[in-house]
Amino acid sequence: MATEVLKVSDLKVGFTEDKVDVPIVNGVSFQLQQGETLGIVGESGCGKSMTSFSLMGLLPSGIHWQGGEVLLDGNPLNVTSQKEWRKIRGKKIAMIFQEPMSSLNPVYKIGNQIIEMIRNHETISKKEARVRAIEMLTLVGIPRPDKVVDEYPHQLSGGMRQRVMIAMALSCNPEILIADEPTTALDVTIQAQILELMKSIQAKMDMSIVLITHDLGVIAEVCDRVIVMYAGEVVEEASVADLFDQPKHPYTKGLLNSLPNINNEKERLETIEGVVPAPADMPSGCRFYERCPAAHEKCLVQPEFIVVDNQKVKCWLYHQ
Amino acid sequence: MAKYIMKRLLHTLLVIIAISMIIFFAIRLTGDPVTVMFGAGEPTKEAVEQITEKLGLDKSLPEQYFIFMKDLVQFDLGVSYRSNQPVLDLILERAWPTFLLAMGGMVVAVLIAFPVGIISAVKKGKSVDIFGRIFSLIGISFPNFWLGIMLILIFSVSLKWLPASGFDSFSALILPSLTLGLILSGILARLIRSSMLDVLKMQYITTAKSKGIKDWVVIIKHAFRNALLPTVTFMGLQFGALLGGAVIVEQVFAWPGIGRLIVDAINQRDYPVVQGGVIVLAIVMVVVNLLVDLSYSIINPRIRTGRG
Ligand SMILES: Nc1ncnc2c1ncn2[C@@H]1O[C@H](COP(=O)(O)OP(=O)(O)OP(=O)(O)O)[C@@H](O)[C@H]1O
Ligand SMILES: [Mg+2]
Repeated sequence: MATEVLKVSDLKVGFTEDKVDVPIVNGVSFQLQQGETLGIVGESGCGKSMTSFSLMGLLPSGIHWQGGEVLLDGNPLNVTSQKEWRKIRGKKIAMIFQEPMSSLNPVYKIGNQIIEMIRNHETISKKEARVRAIEMLTLVGIPRPDKVVDEYPHQLSGGMRQRVMIAMALSCNPEILIADEPTTALDVTIQAQILELMKSIQAKMDMSIVLITHDLGVIAEVCDRVIVMYAGEVVEEASVADLFDQPKHPYTKGLLNSLPNINNEKERLETIEGVVPAPADMPSGCRFYERCPAAHEKCLVQPEFIVVDNQKVKCWLYHQ
Repeated sequence: MAKYIMKRLLHTLLVIIAISMIIFFAIRLTGDPVTVMFGAGEPTKEAVEQITEKLGLDKSLPEQYFIFMKDLVQFDLGVSYRSNQPVLDLILERAWPTFLLAMGGMVVAVLIAFPVGIISAVKKGKSVDIFGRIFSLIGISFPNFWLGIMLILIFSVSLKWLPASGFDSFSALILPSLTLGLILSGILARLIRSSMLDVLKMQYITTAKSKGIKDWVVIIKHAFRNALLPTVTFMGLQFGALLGGAVIVEQVFAWPGIGRLIVDAINQRDYPVVQGGVIVLAIVMVVVNLLVDLSYSIINPRIRTGRG
């Protein structure tokens, strides 16, 4: 049986307004097994990035942890000390971002940025770290890695920079890689290459990936399991196959219907009507109520999770 | 790079020619030097004519300008009407004090503005930031001479710690440098704060934090290093303000620099000294701007590698 590397229970993250805690991420729970790729999908603003930043202790100022527990390898993440966070960042959990063009520091050579990461977590000489940096660049498929190591970020294309980010993120052999929309800013062929690369490296390094995206196509490509988030909450959790085969939550169905599909002769793509409610005035019942085609009175009360066909779903439709 | 430097040098030359014209004609609007020379006395017409001719002031303006420029390219700045000493000697004599004052002011400005600007940005909205911003505002809005006089009143007159004038010891340099530096540090701190705030929003700062490196390393190595780019350009541009400030500070502290030399010469309508002093300052300024440009390309790899 695979070991559980990460367990997030009832995570609440948000800001404080007039001395009242307003959650942006409201009670998110999930587990991550070793070697697994978990997708987090949801519309823009639903709290995907906040969730991942809280796992790194990198919440923006004004936003803080309001509750819940995170176990990393069975140990609770110590959220009090910056020093503890620094041992986790890069070493246990590494992260790559949406904007490869601006993710690397423009004034330092690529090699030095990777070396900084390695030497931050391991006591090895600059020379050894440089050798490792070149190895990592080779691993992520950068041509002429011994040249690129001495180049500056602006000398590389976006796709190459994202490869460099991956090389840097993986240079200390982390257990978990969080990829926050890693391919959104790249064009389609490059997207596929980067996803392919992540998959192949994952197999080699036996690491777990949390892949954040609003693109179900990306989820289908690389993930094993998915959680669907809506307005700061998880509404459905399923294996990728199940989710695409038989989506349960009306929101998930809506997301799938808005995917372009070549087999499907439909003239127009469907969109989900309406907008996500703001964090400060969330309805007390189901948060999708306003936009849900299947809404009824029951939905004015918050539904609990229920397991149907191996899928977890938070919707009254499945409660008897 | 060589092509770039050539272009800049040509540009520099044009600027200096323009400045030479402006100062040449502007100083001639202040009045006739010959009458000033005779002071209160009632000179004869012949005496006036004789001196006017001797100084070459009887020639037409274009002719005078041509002679001035012809001498200038041979590094001949002429002779002072007043002291009969070569202008170049007078300027060189005064260059060292001005240089000292400018450097002192710069050092004070950097020592104050860098930490204030950085801390203000990092602690944005906190009380340190508010304090820092009030400091900048005071620095920007207080006139040079007023601050100088206040410092003299406090440290020389009341406390008797430091001399208010003179140029014979290190302690004499302190108050003038403080005056100049404090004024400059206001603008500089404000600039550093705002460029730090811009940089701190960048994605690569989050990347740096996500590597698990210490906060101060993120702030200095990753953020400040990038915030330096606009700061260096700015300091180059501010060099003019530094010299302008130096002229005033030199008056307040009776500092024997080029600024005072020029101001005295203006009062005496000593044309060659005014022209020479201004031209030399202008040359120094454009050279400094050129150096700043070049150093900018050293800190910014994007310019250095000629791409992007
Ligand atoms: N500093 C902040 N203060 C208050 N609210 C914030 C702040 N930063 C983000 N938010 C809010 O938090 C919510 C979640 O943001 P988050 O970045 O996690 O969304 P996301 O799911 O990653 O979206 P995207 O797909 O656009 O990246 C958004 O509604 C946003 O308005
Ligand atoms: Mg996001």
